[in-house]
Amino acid sequence: MKLSGAKALLMLPALLLLVAVFLYPLLRYGWLSGHASSVLTGLRPVPNGGANWQRLIEDVRFWKDAGQTLRFAFCSVALELAGGLGVALLLHQPLRGRGTLRALTLLPWALPTTVMALGWRWILNDPHGPLNAALRSLGAPSYGFLTTPATTWFFAVLADVWKTMPFVALLLLAGLQSIPADLEETLRLEGASRIQILRRLTLPLLVPYLSLALLFRLAQALGVFDLIQVLTGGGPGGSTESLSLYAYLNAMRFLDFGYAATVMLATFLLLAVLLGVGWLLLRRARIARTTGGPA
Amino acid sequence: MPLRRLRAGLRRPPGIPGPLAVGLSALLAAMLLALGVAPGLGRLQGAAPQPVPIRALMPAPLADAVAGPVARFNAKNPGVRLEVIRGPLDTEAISDLAISSLLLGEAPFDLLLVDVSWLAKYVAAGWFTPLDGWFGPEVLAAMEPGARLGNSIGDHLWRMPLTGDTGLLYWRTDLMDRPPRDTDELVAISRDLQRRGKVPWGYLWQGRQYEGLSCVMVEVLQAFGARWWDGASGATALDSPEAVAAASWLDGLLRHGVSPASVAGFTENDALQMFAAGEAAFLRNWPYAWREIEKADGPIRGKVGVTTVVAAPGRQAGGTLGTWGLSLIRGSPHPEEAVTAIRWLTGETVQRQLALEQGYAPTWSRLYDDPELQRQAPLLVVQRAALQHPEPRPLTAAYAQLSDLLTRQVNGMLTGQEAPAAAMASAQRQSLQVLRSMVGTPAAAGTGP
Amino acid sequence: MTITAPGLELRQLSRELEGRRLLDGLDLQVAPGECVALLGPSGCGKSTTLRLVAGLDPASEGNVLLDGEDLTLREPGERQVAMVFQSYALYPHLSVQGNLELGLKVRGVPAAERRQRIDAILDLLQLGSLRHRRPAQLSGGQRQRVALARALLRQPRIVLLDEPMSNLDAQLREELRPELRRLLCGGEQPVIYVTHDQQEATGMADRIALLEGGRLQQVGTPRELYENPANRFVASFLGRPAINLLPMAHRRQLGLRPEHLILGEEGPLAARLLRREWWGHQQLLWLESDQGPLRLLTSAAAAMPPQPRLSWQRRHELWFDADSGARLAP
Ligand SMILES: Nc1ncnc2c1ncn2[C@@H]1O[C@H](COP(=O)(O)OP(=O)(O)OP(=O)(O)O)[C@@H](O)[C@H]1O
Ligand SMILES: [Mg+2]
Repeated sequence: MKLSGAKALLMLPALLLLVAVFLYPLLRYGWLSGHASSVLTGLRPVPNGGANWQRLIEDVRFWKDAGQTLRFAFCSVALELAGGLGVALLLHQPLRGRGTLRALTLLPWALPTTVMALGWRWILNDPHGPLNAALRSLGAPSYGFLTTPATTWFFAVLADVWKTMPFVALLLLAGLQSIPADLEETLRLEGASRIQILRRLTLPLLVPYLSLALLFRLAQALGVFDLIQVLTGGGPGGSTESLSLYAYLNAMRFLDFGYAATVMLATFLLLAVLLGVGWLLLRRARIARTTGGPA
Repeated sequence: MPLRRLRAGLRRPPGIPGPLAVGLSALLAAMLLALGVAPGLGRLQGAAPQPVPIRALMPAPLADAVAGPVARFNAKNPGVRLEVIRGPLDTEAISDLAISSLLLGEAPFDLLLVDVSWLAKYVAAGWFTPLDGWFGPEVLAAMEPGARLGNSIGDHLWRMPLTGDTGLLYWRTDLMDRPPRDTDELVAISRDLQRRGKVPWGYLWQGRQYEGLSCVMVEVLQAFGARWWDGASGATALDSPEAVAAASWLDGLLRHGVSPASVAGFTENDALQMFAAGEAAFLRNWPYAWREIEKADGPIRGKVGVTTVVAAPGRQAGGTLGTWGLSLIRGSPHPEEAVTAIRWLTGETVQRQLALEQGYAPTWSRLYDDPELQRQAPLLVVQRAALQHPEPRPLTAAYAQLSDLLTRQVNGMLTGQEAPAAAMASAQRQSLQVLRSMVGTPAAAGTGP
Repeated sequence: MTITAPGLELRQLSRELEGRRLLDGLDLQVAPGECVALLGPSGCGKSTTLRLVAGLDPASEGNVLLDGEDLTLREPGERQVAMVFQSYALYPHLSVQGNLELGLKVRGVPAAERRQRIDAILDLLQLGSLRHRRPAQLSGGQRQRVALARALLRQPRIVLLDEPMSNLDAQLREELRPELRRLLCGGEQPVIYVTHDQQEATGMADRIALLEGGRLQQVGTPRELYENPANRFVASFLGRPAINLLPMAHRRQLGLRPEHLILGEEGPLAARLLRREWWGHQQLLWLESDQGPLRLLTSAAAAMPPQPRLSWQRRHELWFDADSGARLAP
């Protein structure tokens, strides 16, 4: 497609905005990652060749965090999609007080992450939290939910799922509502069971919504920061540290902006590659949305 | 009206490190402005007797504690209006907030109450103005030995100490006649009391992966004759046999049930709560804990003694230095007035009041000899003793990295992910990597820019 | 239990929702192979009736019987009903073949038989060349045929069509009418054909059931409804241009269809020409009379007399109660 002059002019503001909010920081990170800019340079950027990238490649902690971040993101997003679908199907039923129920479902999503994470940290506190109080009242000893790597990881995922599942559910609910009722009715008349309808009709038609939720949530989960910072602080023993938290520590605690930019950019590249692959896969599954009616 | 120096603000803080920091900072700085700083910025200057505004950022508890002295300062100095900005309570949170504002260039405050562990980093970043011009060497000389530490870097004085807090050992007077003399005794008494069913746990401390664990480590390393940081060579020695012994001892406390496994997730407050509930014989904490215990109507009120931390038999013990002090922000438009405020806030009158009302350890030696203070502040004797041989955290601009990676490793050890020797070896390896990446820099060696 | 004739029987079928009666005591019989058109203005309850027969909505009262068997409480999937929606409800993510195949798959028809039956129906409806297209790639008429093919594949015991041609242009509707009749009617199954177009109803159906406000007004052959309407509503709903209603003494109304008025120099009513609509071989005259405005349909060749008067035959007179609209004896 060729851009006419007027069209290009009309697109200019959007283009400028894109450059300003997206491209500029990226270029800036790229530039900064080729510099040392830390307390040892008095925070002034001094070119250091590829030293930051060299350090990144050798940085065991970066790769460990990358693995932990990916594992966290994939598990959270998978559970959110499955759970969100379940909630969406439930909320799609013609139930009494459905509106209230939908509003209630949104509550965790509306809660600030920091507050939510503090809440979970309190619930899981050993030995003062209510979960351990419940354990003790059953005669069991307290359990260090946040001092055992496996359970800490599990509850970080759970907290994330708890918080963001409403969003996924609402997105999928919008998808369900966009499916004309007569499609399902036609299939019901053919004698299809609920499961068959779900598998053969509802899910295929939800693919665009599922993929939107997937890409969106994956991008968010790969950048997970506040939840981890508040709930676990990256612990125990760094076993839940995410790439964003590592980048944040490098920037705000260590004042090592050159390396922080390198970690940030590497995280972004990782994310871009993942999302790119995901998008390509999903594009092939894209479908026409016409059910009939006027052409 | 006092003489005004030329606007020191002409010297701008060095290069702003780009959108990364700016993005992170903008939000926090906005919060800071929302705290009520903004109205002051727009105030008219130059007109007849407008008082000079001086703003100081402090963590909430200290900001509250100095509210009275600040009011008196303003009454005595009509030319100055001192305002205290109430920052977050958490040490790491207030550091993040301060850094965010400083990175943006013009910090909305003139004074910052600085934790001893931040100083080297802030100085290396070039955010402070040295105080030598106002405070000569005789000033620090009038302070307790421990209080003198952690204020000077290179040949300059960067901070005037306001409190002389150190790590202390709390013990139960109802369960034993005297506090333990060394680590062996601490463990032996604990196990005996536990065996006899007097207390579920022996010793409580801070094991969460955060700065508090570094404070514990400083004491434990010292207690076993190990050194985290050698200021002379600018290197760490975390894999020495002594250091591994120290880590093993800490690890053993959990493995043998002297400390509950939950200390691996404890902050100061978690440990304090459990101790205050009467569930342990010993607690490692800061001076503030004593007032908390005495204030609350808990089961161990009046049954708690405070002493200096203990070392392994034959070793010299030292509590971690956790002092706070005021630094002057580089670029403050009113350094003279700001220093007047520092002088008042860190002066004997205010420190005396803080000791009386809040239990903060003074820094001035004279205050420790004050008979009335001795009568009314029961911790004073212990606090003075602790200030004779305190242990500072590594005084290097790389401290934040070193502390972060040590707490990661030690917390990993406490949660069973690594054995003590492996954890310390790994901490040492990573520390050297960090230091190597700063090789040849004066900042790493602990001297000013 | 009463013995019933074979075919579909609706007995006192009603649906109430939120205190409103959407359908009120509908009695209707459709013989095997018979096509009954459900006709009525928008919102009169036509779709509601179909959904009750299909089992998509529950009836609040009454029964649906097929060959004497009570279907009222059966699941929709067990009723062997084929329904064509106004929107066609084609599965957008499936090709034409996929659309036809899904129902068969769901019912567990083996692959070989599926293929054979789909081939046959594609042939019958001349859809073979469109086999691999998605619904979005079809024209309106093609979509309608696919929907029809899918309904036929169901091997239904009842066929329900909800305005299946309302999305097509007038010309295509006329063209498709005979084909639809050929495919659907005259077989074993009773057919209910919903429309609000009386011409389509007359053209498609053996009998017409006229609904209004959820109540059945009259059921009968198109001719019966035209010649002998049960009330004023039926009389005015059927026949275009609409019947003239003249106010008469004793709170009565005289209904005279435009095609039954005779234009001449004599007759009981004097009239004045307002406007002329030319309809090809016919013309519609808009007249003003002492009794109000009138419509008159006459040959295009008819000349306008200088002093026009209107007359009619007695047998074409339809009398109604002016208040209730009930039909009165002449
Ligand atoms: N789900 C519903 N809830 C409440 N009222 C409904 C519902 N569905 C239909 N109705 C009402 O029932 C009446 C009959 O509706 P129906 O769809 O049967 O009309 P119709 O004769 O098919 O009209 P059309 O020719 O416009 O399709 C209408 O007044 C409609 O408003
Ligand atoms: Mg309808």
